[in-house]
Amino acid sequence: MANSNLPRRIIKETQRLLSEPAPGISASPSEENMRYFNVMILGPTQSPYEGGVFKLELFLPEEYPMAAPKVRFLTKIYHPNIDKLGRICLDILKDKWSPALQIRTVLLSIQALLSAPNPDDPLSENIAKHWKANEAEAVETAKEWTNLYASGA
Amino acid sequence: MDSDDDMHDANDLDSLDDDYYSGDNGMGSDDGDGFEFDNSDDSDDSTSHHHRQQPSYTVLNEDDIRQRQEEVITRISTVLSIPRVSASILLRHYNWDVTKVHDAWFADEERVRKATGLLESSVVSNQNMKEFNCGICFEAYPRDRMYAAACGHYFCSACWTGYVSTSINDGPGCLMLRCPDPSCGAAVGQDLINLLVSEEDKQKYSRYILRSYVEDNKKTKWCPAPGCDFAVDFVAGSSSFDVSCNCSFSFCWNCTEEAHRPVDCVTVAKWILKNCAESENMNWILANSKPCPKCKRPIEKNQGCMHITCTPPCKFEFCWLCLGAWSDHGERTGGFYACNRYETAKQEGLYDEAEKRREMAKNSLERYTHYYERWATNQSSRLKAVADLQQMQSVHIEKLSDKQCQPETQLKFITEAWLQIIECRRVLKWTYAYGYYLPENEHAKRQFFEYLQGEAESGLERLHQCAEKELQTYLNAEGPSEGFNDFKTKLAGLTSVTRNYFENLVRALENGLSDVDSQGACSKTTSSKNLGGVTKRGGRGKGTTSRTTSTGPSRPQEDSPSWHCEHCTFANARANVTCQMCNRSPSAR
Ligand SMILES: [Zn+2]
Ligand SMILES: [Zn+2]
Ligand SMILES: [Zn+2]
Ligand SMILES: [Zn+2]
Ligand SMILES: [Zn+2]
Ligand SMILES: [Zn+2]
Ligand SMILES: [Zn+2]
Repeated sequence: MANSNLPRRIIKETQRLLSEPAPGISASPSEENMRYFNVMILGPTQSPYEGGVFKLELFLPEEYPMAAPKVRFLTKIYHPNIDKLGRICLDILKDKWSPALQIRTVLLSIQALLSAPNPDDPLSENIAKHWKANEAEAVETAKEWTNLYASGA
Repeated sequence: MDSDDDMHDANDLDSLDDDYYSGDNGMGSDDGDGFEFDNSDDSDDSTSHHHRQQPSYTVLNEDDIRQRQEEVITRISTVLSIPRVSASILLRHYNWDVTKVHDAWFADEERVRKATGLLESSVVSNQNMKEFNCGICFEAYPRDRMYAAACGHYFCSACWTGYVSTSINDGPGCLMLRCPDPSCGAAVGQDLINLLVSEEDKQKYSRYILRSYVEDNKKTKWCPAPGCDFAVDFVAGSSSFDVSCNCSFSFCWNCTEEAHRPVDCVTVAKWILKNCAESENMNWILANSKPCPKCKRPIEKNQGCMHITCTPPCKFEFCWLCLGAWSDHGERTGGFYACNRYETAKQEGLYDEAEKRREMAKNSLERYTHYYERWATNQSSRLKAVADLQQMQSVHIEKLSDKQCQPETQLKFITEAWLQIIECRRVLKWTYAYGYYLPENEHAKRQFFEYLQGEAESGLERLHQCAEKELQTYLNAEGPSEGFNDFKTKLAGLTSVTRNYFENLVRALENGLSDVDSQGACSKTTSSKNLGGVTKRGGRGKGTTSRTTSTGPSRPQEDSPSWHCEHCTFANARANVTCQMCNRSPSAR
């Protein structure tokens, strides 16, 4: 498709993502559209998502890197900062975006978010409430969901 | 919203006759020409301006704003010995409050520098390299084609331009722009920005700085009139929030609604919200046509004053607001001008609770309608007066000067009359919002208020009618008219009297009607038998005119006040040395 005009930065980022992948993260561009990435993040150890494989999609808009990439979970996940549609509440994807950030830093931040859910800045009200009211129980649910939805991949 | 408010005391009018504040203590003398006034220009000026000796605000145009902004930047830059760009960033951070900048800076300069991103030296140690990799496009560039903020994080000029211009086009957040490096908070100032972006983006940025000075500064606001570019700088602690912009729009500096003195901002906000909630019910109120109460033909209102005369052959003269006969309105009856009052139908014989509730709900809407109609009608009447004044100044004054062989300087009284009408319509309008929220159970205050409002309104109707209709005769005359000087005396007199009425009204409302207590004794001297307030069921609210307010003649002689104030025409008891209304003393005669 429109891959001919791909900025050098995107090409370099892609090359580096493929040649030196970050641990627990894989990102590969789609063949038809080099701005569209299939992403997989392994659930971090010591988190309720451990053992799960989470699929995400990442898209670099026309304005990238002046505008942030668009990322969302495709695998269902029980997490206070991720909603039903897989959208993610993460500051660097919004107002804290800087063009000096990269796909790699974004994905690492998402991985860190799985290790440290933040129910005080929720995207999913119900899950956040659950998390605050009874964390142990919420963590159990998150584990169940990981088994149910994120183990087959 | 406040359904409680709407319903309160809807059926509690029987208790009205405690300390009723009679409306006619001596005002009967105002039949047209009998009022006292002084129409020399000097005394007019001294009374009309005594509220505003000290202007409490300044209207600023764009140049004024820039100049003030430059001044504070210079001050901070000099006092703190920092570059102007840094001073501007600091001031922006502290909402252009010079004192706050000083205090914060001298309390803990390091903290302030950190919070605002004003670094003293570079944070990276690569200053000697010849070539850098740009952290945004990943390309290598020679150092002289790259830029950095004070931190020393270099990016190529193309990436900088994209970064800054994206931020500028995102909105005023660009005024807080930081270095693109995510770990760095160094501020990006206007000097760097001007090196990087297009002329258009520079303009936008400078516009945001200007706007920030007005919008973030607690002392300054934009004039809310559509299309107006003036700002108003307000001096804290002045008594009134009303400001008048150079574009001629008057507004309340505190809530930026149109000027609403003497009514407070909270009441105004409540009232505007109420009007929004009820707007569907009230559309019919704004109709410009009503059936004549006598012949039922539709009559259109195309004038400002409320005195309507039906077309021939009917020629019935009636009041647009209450549809009562005009002859009942003040002048002739020597009586109480009660058109402004809302009177609830009595709840006789309503034992069924459900029926009573329905009746109360209906009354609450009727009550609101009463106030809303008067508020809205005074509003449109004011707009009409504004248009009439413009017409007067652009065409009629000159024409009149020709016809009546008067120099235009001698016709100033006409402009003054119209200005008075415009101002009074505004005040009167807001007093209806006030009246709506004045608790029904505060009888004494309510009656005092309705009395003052009634007198003011009655005076204004006479003034408006005189300026609107009587003037027409002299405009249409063939040559100089005999009566013109009398007309001048009358119009100037009505202007002055009406001004006094409204000053009383404004003062009383601004005091929260606190005079009621001190005047209680006086007001009680009028026998409660004179009370004409309560109409029979189905009274004025439904458009009939069964008012029973004419009380003058039955008043016992010994209760009659002994002197009329020459300033405000208030009738004072013999025992009072100064006027109970305006606190002024009668001049010795
Ligand atoms: Zn930096
Ligand atoms: Zn670059
Ligand atoms: Zn203005
Ligand atoms: Zn206000
Ligand atoms: Zn008629
Ligand atoms: Zn009336
Ligand atoms: Zn007086």
